[in-house]
Amino acid sequence: MLSSIKLIIMNKFFDLRFVIGAFFLVVGIMLLIYSFFNEAVAHAAVNRWSAIFFIVFAVVMILLSFDKKPEDKL
Amino acid sequence: MNLHGIDYSIIGLYFLFVLGIGFLLKKRIKTADDFLMSARNIPLWITSLAFISANLGAQEVLGMAANGAKYGLYTAHFYWLGAVFAMVFLGLFMMPFYYGSKARSVPEYLKFRFDEKTRTFNAFTFAAMTIFSSGISLYALAMLMQVILGWDFNVSIWIAAGIVLAYTFLGGLTSAVYNEVLQFFLIVLGIAPLVYIGMQQAGGLQGILANVDNAKLHLWKGMGSAATNPMGTDAFSMIFGLGFVLAFGYWCTDFLVVQRAMISHNLNDARRTPIIAALPKIFMPLIVIVPGIILLALQKQFSGFELPLNVNGQVDYNMTLPLLLSKLYPSGILGVGITALIASFMSGMAGNVTAFNTVFTFDIYQTHIKPNAGEKHYLNVGKATTVVGILLSILTAYVARGFNSIMDLLQLVFGFVNAPLFATFLLGMFWKKSTANGAFWGLLSGTGAAALTYSLTTAEGKGGSIANLHTFYSGTSQAFNIAWIAFVVCFIVTAVISLFTEKKPEKELVGLVYSLTPRQQDKNRIWYKNPLWIAVIVLVITLALNVIFY
Repeated sequence: MLSSIKLIIMNKFFDLRFVIGAFFLVVGIMLLIYSFFNEAVAHAAVNRWSAIFFIVFAVVMILLSFDKKPEDKL
Repeated sequence: MNLHGIDYSIIGLYFLFVLGIGFLLKKRIKTADDFLMSARNIPLWITSLAFISANLGAQEVLGMAANGAKYGLYTAHFYWLGAVFAMVFLGLFMMPFYYGSKARSVPEYLKFRFDEKTRTFNAFTFAAMTIFSSGISLYALAMLMQVILGWDFNVSIWIAAGIVLAYTFLGGLTSAVYNEVLQFFLIVLGIAPLVYIGMQQAGGLQGILANVDNAKLHLWKGMGSAATNPMGTDAFSMIFGLGFVLAFGYWCTDFLVVQRAMISHNLNDARRTPIIAALPKIFMPLIVIVPGIILLALQKQFSGFELPLNVNGQVDYNMTLPLLLSKLYPSGILGVGITALIASFMSGMAGNVTAFNTVFTFDIYQTHIKPNAGEKHYLNVGKATTVVGILLSILTAYVARGFNSIMDLLQLVFGFVNAPLFATFLLGMFWKKSTANGAFWGLLSGTGAAALTYSLTTAEGKGGSIANLHTFYSGTSQAFNIAWIAFVVCFIVTAVISLFTEKKPEKELVGLVYSLTPRQQDKNRIWYKNPLWIAVIVLVITLALNVIFY
């Protein structure tokens, strides 16, 4: 079970949409967490809104990677 | 500009992903074709985004924001006049010949259509131009890091060059193309919040209209004379110089961008690549030009938004985007913005290096040094050329450090090389009587005419090394005029010499010349699979924008 999940995740890394989604998901989560601890900074809300947008974009890209045609593989 | 841990973490994460893509692709590279041509197996959405990302280098991201502040909305001509029409033309009319001829590069098409000497001339000038351009990207990146972040110039150069080398060496063109797509999203999503915050701070659209000089908020107003618009360019040199010669010369013949379409699955995808790429291209001014206009509005309303002076004591418009990032972005999203800038420089550099190694390996090494070697040999040559290309770029970056005007020189070099080349292609693809000797001497004459025009005219204190017969209102105007003169000279010389020299037999020109090649029938009823329908949509939107922002 664990090895098949590992295999699925490894295969996903060969899809560019998944890679882009993973990048923006990590950046979005980092920004979101950071925004909660730095609310006093000027324009701090932009971190939170950007984070939410990045996470939504990332989720869309990752979901698209599951609708894969053979030619979309890396 | 002070970066915090979160900002450095985002920059580090980006480097990790970029290198990761290179490592993932490494095991799939087995032949020179895989390394240099991506085995012509890249999906349409990736080739389309890579097509515009290859052009999203330092000049685009920093330069267009700078021009936005300097010339206002007139800068959008580089998109709505100087890009979209040429991209559509490439997709509809030229791609069938590039892709259908099975040429691996633009110089190789010239060999099929004309002869070896024309190909070699183009291969050498293009190789030199890509190294020059790649080195400038590296130099600009290091300078930017030094000025805004206080990083050491040498460290910045070697780290950036090392990362680009690592991922292009490991994964070849595919790695460069995949990273270009990641970089595209990073640039768009990293800079878009800046436009939103800037607009809010400037008072929205009303604030922009109230605080920016009205002359900078139009596309065509005042174009009757070079003296009556901020760009210092008249309508003729704008339309013929930029809209026709420079735009078509760059988008239709520069292998750096054309290569992204040539690695598609099939001809239909290759044709749709530049046309689909034109859609996001139409809206790029929102990301790269509007920040410059926002800065003008902010300067009127607040202090602290003044641009610094450069070494010549002039306003340094290139600092437009870095200034806005430092003033409007808090830590966190600032890291994303800085990473977007780094990505644009690395994208520009990697695009040039991958185009350089393809042209050197196929058009210079395989043709003149060692023909008929095995696949493995050319793969190794391609990889070695990548290393050499990066080292030459580093050398160029250090040379560029000693010259103040090297960015202007780069712009001129594009005019010298691409403008006459477009005349050669236009005649080669659409006039079956054009000959190899006509093309070769036409190219030489066009390039010579460009150099002569530059030596006989001045603009902003530059040029006129022989004499000053005319002074242009701006360097931009000079570049547009040099381009159309080079084009016209190349066109006439090619046509005249072709009338008196030996033509290739028609049977050898099938698939290379329009009148001798069966037409591509765009019969697909699904609109998004039909290049013609997408082209119509793109052109209608572009024309509408030209009317709206007249």
